[in-house]
Amino acid sequence: MSADVLVVMETKGVGERRTGGGAAWHRVSMEALAAGQTLAAELGVACSAAVLGESAAIAPLAAELAAHRLETVWAVGDDLLAVYTADGWTAALEQLIAQAAPKFVVFPHTYQVRDYAPALATRLGEVLIGDVTAVQMAGEPREPLFVRQWMQGKLNAIYRHCKPGGFCLLSVQAGSFRADAVQVGQSQVQEFAPKLAAEMIRTAPSEPIREAAQTVDLSAAEVIVGVGRGIGEQENLKLVEDLAQALGAELAASRPICDAGWLPLERQVGSSGQTVAPKLYLAVGISGAIQHLVGMKGAKTVIAINKDADAPIFEVADIGVVGDLFEMVPALTRAIRG
Amino acid sequence: MSAVGMLAGIVGASLNLWLAEPAKFGLGERVLLAALMLGAAGLFAWRGAPIAHAIWGSKKDADLRLRPLGRRLWKFFWEVLCQAKVIRQRRLPGLAHALVYWGFLAFALVTLNHLAEGFGCDFLSYAGAFGAFYQAFAGVWALLVALAIAGLFARRFLVRPKWLGEVSPESGVIAALIFALMATYLGMLVVKQHSPAAEYLWWAHTLVLLAFLPIIPGTKHLHLLLSPLTVFLKRPEFSQLPKLEGDEEFGLVTGKDLTRIIALQAYSCVECGRCTEHCPAAATGKVLNPKEVVLGVKAFLNSHGAGSEAPLLQDEPVGAQRALSMQAAFACTTCGSCEYQCPVGVQHLPVLIGLRRGAVNTGAWEDRYGTKLFLSLEKQGNSLGMSAAERDKFIARQRLPLFDGSQEYCLWLGCMGSYDPKGREIVTDFARVMQALGSSFGVLKKESCTGDPARRLGNDLLFGELAEQGLKNFAQAGVKKIVTVCPHCVRTIASDWREYGVAPEIEHHSEFMARHAHRLPGLMVGESSESVVFHDPCYLGRYREVYDQPRAVVAMAGELVEAERHRERSFCCGAGGGLACLGEEAGERVSHGRARELMESGAKTIGTACPFCNSMFRDALGQVGGAAPPQLLDIAQLVARRLPVQPLDSGEPRG
Amino acid sequence: MKIVVAVKQVPEREAVLRVTPDGRSIDESEVAWTMNEPDAYALEEALQLKQRAADAGLGEAEVVVLSVGPERVQSTLREALAKGADRALHVVTPAGGEGSLAERGSLDVARLLAEAVKGEQPELVLTGLQSDDLGAGQTGVVMAELLGVPHATLVLQVEFAGQGGDGRRIKVRRELEDGWTQFVEMPLPALLTIQSGGNRLRYATLMGIKRARQKEMRELSAAAPSQRVDQVVKVFPPLRVKQTEMLTGAAEEIAAKLVERLRFDVKVL
Repeated sequence: MSADVLVVMETKGVGERRTGGGAAWHRVSMEALAAGQTLAAELGVACSAAVLGESAAIAPLAAELAAHRLETVWAVGDDLLAVYTADGWTAALEQLIAQAAPKFVVFPHTYQVRDYAPALATRLGEVLIGDVTAVQMAGEPREPLFVRQWMQGKLNAIYRHCKPGGFCLLSVQAGSFRADAVQVGQSQVQEFAPKLAAEMIRTAPSEPIREAAQTVDLSAAEVIVGVGRGIGEQENLKLVEDLAQALGAELAASRPICDAGWLPLERQVGSSGQTVAPKLYLAVGISGAIQHLVGMKGAKTVIAINKDADAPIFEVADIGVVGDLFEMVPALTRAIRG
Repeated sequence: MSAVGMLAGIVGASLNLWLAEPAKFGLGERVLLAALMLGAAGLFAWRGAPIAHAIWGSKKDADLRLRPLGRRLWKFFWEVLCQAKVIRQRRLPGLAHALVYWGFLAFALVTLNHLAEGFGCDFLSYAGAFGAFYQAFAGVWALLVALAIAGLFARRFLVRPKWLGEVSPESGVIAALIFALMATYLGMLVVKQHSPAAEYLWWAHTLVLLAFLPIIPGTKHLHLLLSPLTVFLKRPEFSQLPKLEGDEEFGLVTGKDLTRIIALQAYSCVECGRCTEHCPAAATGKVLNPKEVVLGVKAFLNSHGAGSEAPLLQDEPVGAQRALSMQAAFACTTCGSCEYQCPVGVQHLPVLIGLRRGAVNTGAWEDRYGTKLFLSLEKQGNSLGMSAAERDKFIARQRLPLFDGSQEYCLWLGCMGSYDPKGREIVTDFARVMQALGSSFGVLKKESCTGDPARRLGNDLLFGELAEQGLKNFAQAGVKKIVTVCPHCVRTIASDWREYGVAPEIEHHSEFMARHAHRLPGLMVGESSESVVFHDPCYLGRYREVYDQPRAVVAMAGELVEAERHRERSFCCGAGGGLACLGEEAGERVSHGRARELMESGAKTIGTACPFCNSMFRDALGQVGGAAPPQLLDIAQLVARRLPVQPLDSGEPRG
Repeated sequence: MKIVVAVKQVPEREAVLRVTPDGRSIDESEVAWTMNEPDAYALEEALQLKQRAADAGLGEAEVVVLSVGPERVQSTLREALAKGADRALHVVTPAGGEGSLAERGSLDVARLLAEAVKGEQPELVLTGLQSDDLGAGQTGVVMAELLGVPHATLVLQVEFAGQGGDGRRIKVRRELEDGWTQFVEMPLPALLTIQSGGNRLRYATLMGIKRARQKEMRELSAAAPSQRVDQVVKVFPPLRVKQTEMLTGAAEEIAAKLVERLRFDVKVL
């Protein structure tokens, strides 16, 4: 019955209470599943997966999961799991792991996993190898090595699990494994009823809330499209607005654009405006004056589109496109929209 | 002055004008006179004592040194006796003021004689040659003073320049008293000796004189007595900040942090408004009004006395001391125009920066941009918060030689030269000029900020760390001479670092290029008669008194044009005092006004000598430059573009 | 009320990093050190809580700052004292070799921290979300488990929620993904990991530094290291150095390339 790799699936992060109705997998869950399947294949062992929640709510999810190449789908159901709590998840998974006895437990590296998996690892006398970007097989007998980043990506570190007879817990970074590599197949759902009691759960969470954005908060934006003087006319802003919308990005601007009143002041990025640190900053028609650079230098990736090949923005860009933004931007918008 | 007076004396004497004396006074009149004199003196003392106490009771200025005395005496002679500053800044009213002042000096003897006369022991008799001359000499001064004061009265009450603030009745009273003093004196010159008219005039003159005395303390006319002392005692250096000693000094936090010099200067303020007239913050609608700040200190001392525990700064600009607000203190660009303009020796910068020190060193100042700036300086070691790796990349790409101890100069890049695309161009162009001149130089492998923005914003902890680190870096690298394109770096290393040690000699690139002016034209190709208007950076001009050198460089590369305000009276670009890092300005941007002013000169090119000014104008010209804005170039670029095209040499030390 | 803040000293973000000859850790000889930024946010929250507790009439709160490491970590503890913490605890480990930080796993370090916390019996333990150097992001949660107290991660805001049946409670707002948040209530004592960026950090001041000299810094000895469950095999810089990659071609081709990159490298699509 037991499998050697267990993937703990997560349902859509925001809607813990909505698990029952129209629930979806958290995007990284499928990537974790792919990672788990690959690891199992490399080791020549079986892979299982688990989903947690209130029994009725997770039944359709477990059924959906059973259409994948897995040995067992564990449906870990209990009324006390209707809402996510670190205590509930830790206790339920501790019992499941005791029962299923996997060698490897794979989690998606999500906010929720960061909230409970370290506690679960501690309870098992283990350490979570978190935010793994790649798995390598090495040695004889072959064992998996896990790559993770140090110093915010300035160094890579390879970890191995070295506790004999222990459980190796790892979480995989979003985007590191391809969800479309998940293998379909047939498996069976097995219900697992953890022994939980209300007193075990010490925290009382509320419904998730999302406040309607009152003001633009560029500092929290994950993706930003920044527009500069190169846009020429106010009417042309539509082009970048479309691009921003396609990317799900916030629109930002350099100082001259806001000075001209084409965009409100709160969208100004730079020394006299906002400081931003998105995953992606797409600079369109921005030459890269220092006043602007200081505001967006925290971006993880910078893509610049500018017609002037000597524009200073290319010095800080990871990817540069020298070209006419009036051609390039609509083309990119179309490509993103597919 | 003496020539005019001498001539006047001779003319007067030859016209046979002499002072009519009243008949000898009896005992009653003498007693009355003595009583009046005592009364006036008593009132004077009664009103003056709290002021004297506020000044003397304030904290001693531990850093006050009278030496070198020569410089102080010269300033006293030039600014007080010659009234040079007063005249230079406002020609006509300045001259009128000087006439009144010189007249007062001339009257010192007359007044003494006048009162002595009341007791029958006068010494300036028309019978004697000197007496006759002097009485007439004073008569001419009386006429000049009367005319001058009437003119000043008309200016203040009819023309009413806005810098003088609201109409002050007190000024009117003083003007009237001065006028009456002179009129009665002139009257005594024309009436008959021992006549009743002479007696009336004598008493009128006396009463005016005695009324004058008690009015002086507590009004701006206290400057009559204090400003000579203030000018003599003012701190010798521009924007000089005292070292913070011990565990309890953090700058100007409460009343007890005010020093005697600050108090003396506050009580010397004559409310002329020159400081505010030339203040870039006040001119663009910011909360700061330097005159009100000085008067705010005075009002504080008046209401709290010396050594008070009450906080000096208010969070919001409201109430009686509205001028002393956090907002006002942090609106200052530290351009120093106020301190430079002040005719009575008030030094605004140590007060404004002192208030900032008090607010920052205790953590009271909370500002999103300010905090970000401090954290960038703490963590990244530069004001822009850029990664040092970016600087390394720039140095490698431009193949700037690294300083290894063998070169003559350390070329200091500064934050702008290291990270700002425009600043980098300036540095690269200046490096080409140095190379063309055959001067050997290298750049440091690692630089951190000199601490200029931290210093001006009053963060002594951060400034001290950066200064110590900087001194250590220069010492380790074996640097003897530094040259840089940034006047802020020059000032901070040359002056402010002295609190922590001795830095290598440093000069601004304008000074370097001017020293080589005899050789540069020979290296330059082509002709240029293009007009260039030069903008004096505050930290090069007023702070370092370097005006001619950059002009000499400009003149080599084009035709020098002056903006309306230039040299000592140049107007700020808005970047100084850390303000370039403090977010958007309220009201009009300082840089816009100055850019317009520079454009009005009609020059094709704006020449700058500071990368911060350059960056401010670059932005400003984008807004106010119109369709064909003038070109914006650093003086090094003006020269470099006329050098034969040659890429920078490799990093090998030159033989 | 007592709040313990666990802070870590990490290499400055600007630090040039070299790997030790054995290829398994960072060469510390030329590293400049600083307070882990997420922990700086935790400290800030603690200092603000102290103020809020006083404002709410909950009495004088004490903020105790705690760190594990060799001698060098005292500079970070001093910095915390300068910013307003009341006293410091330093669990001393050797600078190198057996028992040093590099040799101890994150579980072991969390044990050292938890032991020190137990001695203080605080109502609240705060720490940063993760460390800037190793980025494991679990020390806080592990400590909560070791201490047997409830916890919440990614906390944006902390309020005192009054008394419940089990004593004083707090209500925190924690961040979920995609702009969602939720409130979580729990009894004290509890442990919170604080989300970065929620507060504004304060700058160090001259007054703070001078006052910090008079504050207590207590050294505690570290327990012997336990067996590691995970092991660092190798540390190496990533092969790809950041360099601008210029895309060329027709607009449509470039767009297709960009979309590919956005999907798989930047991971935003």
